[in-house]
Amino acid sequence: MHEELVRQAQRGDAEAFDSLARTVGDRCLAIAVRILRDLDLAEDAVQASLITAWTELRALRDPSRFEPWLHRILTRACFAEARRRKRWYEGPRILPVAGAYGPDDYLTVDDRDLLERAFRRLTVQQRAVLVYHHYLGLSIAQVAERIDIPVGTAKSRLHHASRALRASIEADARTTPPPQERMA
Amino acid sequence: MTTSRDPDHLIRAFLAEGDETLQDQVYDAVRAHIEDTPQRAGSGAWRMPIMNRIVGFGLAAAAVVAAVVIGVQLLGSPGGGLGAEPTPVATPEPTPTPVPSLAEPTSSADALLPEGPLLIWDSPAEDAPSITMTISAPGWIHLPQFSAIEKGEEVDNMPEAAVLPGSLPPGSGFYVSGDPCQWASTKPEAPATTVEEMVAALAAQASRDASEPVDVTMGGYAGKMITLHVPDDADFAACDGGEFVSYTDEDGEPWNWHQGPGQIDDFWFVDVEGSIVEIRAMYRPDTPAELVDEMRALIESSAFDFP
Repeated sequence: MHEELVRQAQRGDAEAFDSLARTVGDRCLAIAVRILRDLDLAEDAVQASLITAWTELRALRDPSRFEPWLHRILTRACFAEARRRKRWYEGPRILPVAGAYGPDDYLTVDDRDLLERAFRRLTVQQRAVLVYHHYLGLSIAQVAERIDIPVGTAKSRLHHASRALRASIEADARTTPPPQERMA
Repeated sequence: MTTSRDPDHLIRAFLAEGDETLQDQVYDAVRAHIEDTPQRAGSGAWRMPIMNRIVGFGLAAAAVVAAVVIGVQLLGSPGGGLGAEPTPVATPEPTPTPVPSLAEPTSSADALLPEGPLLIWDSPAEDAPSITMTISAPGWIHLPQFSAIEKGEEVDNMPEAAVLPGSLPPGSGFYVSGDPCQWASTKPEAPATTVEEMVAALAAQASRDASEPVDVTMGGYAGKMITLHVPDDADFAACDGGEFVSYTDEDGEPWNWHQGPGQIDDFWFVDVEGSIVEIRAMYRPDTPAELVDEMRALIESSAFDFP
């Protein structure tokens, strides 16, 4: 889709790269903010990954593979941000609910709080697997490619992350009355 | 939260929420940074920043180096549509046959190139020739960032078979280093501007195992071919800039890179009306002899046209 822009950018065209970045930037932010659970960190990760992409762009042999290649860089940038600034352990701000999909009626406020807490307890690597699989809808093999890990590792991480989240959800369900009971 | 609800659905719903818009200041910061940041020369891939070649001669804007398939290979002949018969290969005589105006790159960088004539070097200079070769077997792919074509599997960034063409305006030349490992510190005062000077300088390089140069005729023009090896024990880390470089441009920027110890390069240098045409075949010791022969035949099919 962006192949011509990629080719132009590979030839050193900064204008083309700027256009390319604006085409993929929102999606990168969406991924990063879900992995890092912090908007400032996510913006830093996206900025770092776009700069790295520019620097390394000539190593990309197939322009049609630009986005998976960029996501791999982005994932590494997210992990680096997570290592460098573990701000979410110190009381992160709650992310605004203003996504393209809008708030999901399926989720209650309690659900969001619970999932936010549960999500933050996961490692950043586990979150990345969940984001690529559940948010982008990628297959395990595609997830493995984005994170640069073996397929077996991706499968294992997804299993453990999903199990941890489910455990939190089920534990909460055992201690919290259903909505109709709470309203009564 | 109830147990009747699907946890996976909850996770997906949760992940569907959040910011989607990257702020302009992030794009601005990236733009400001990249304006001052040069791109790396294919790090992780080949050590061949072809753009350096072009910029070195002040022709960057004009030089969109794209492999263009002549005739109907991808786009149809100039006057015909898809499915038309292929246009015959350019004549081997040095006539200034105009290249059909099909200035479109292949659809994908790694797209398999169809058999037939291929404009492999679209010269950015009016007084340096473009180069057309005829691909006679399947499996070749186009690497636009290196203005090269490649076939086979890469091992440690070293292609099994790759062809890199180029041409220089008359009077221009290459600075053949005395030692390709110490290429920066052994850059000569003057360039080699003729085929004979190029081949003689390469044959005399330290730490090389050059073949005896042989006379060739290509596209109706006379030239020479020489085979060079990167020593098996070459320690790139100990070389200038960590690179093994046979020759540079006027500014001392590497014109070609070698990928690693053991690499073999066949170099063809042909004098085309005063312009040096340089065509390089890169391969490994384990490259099958048939593939080397195929690559050499491909190069020897070269025809030259001036833009």
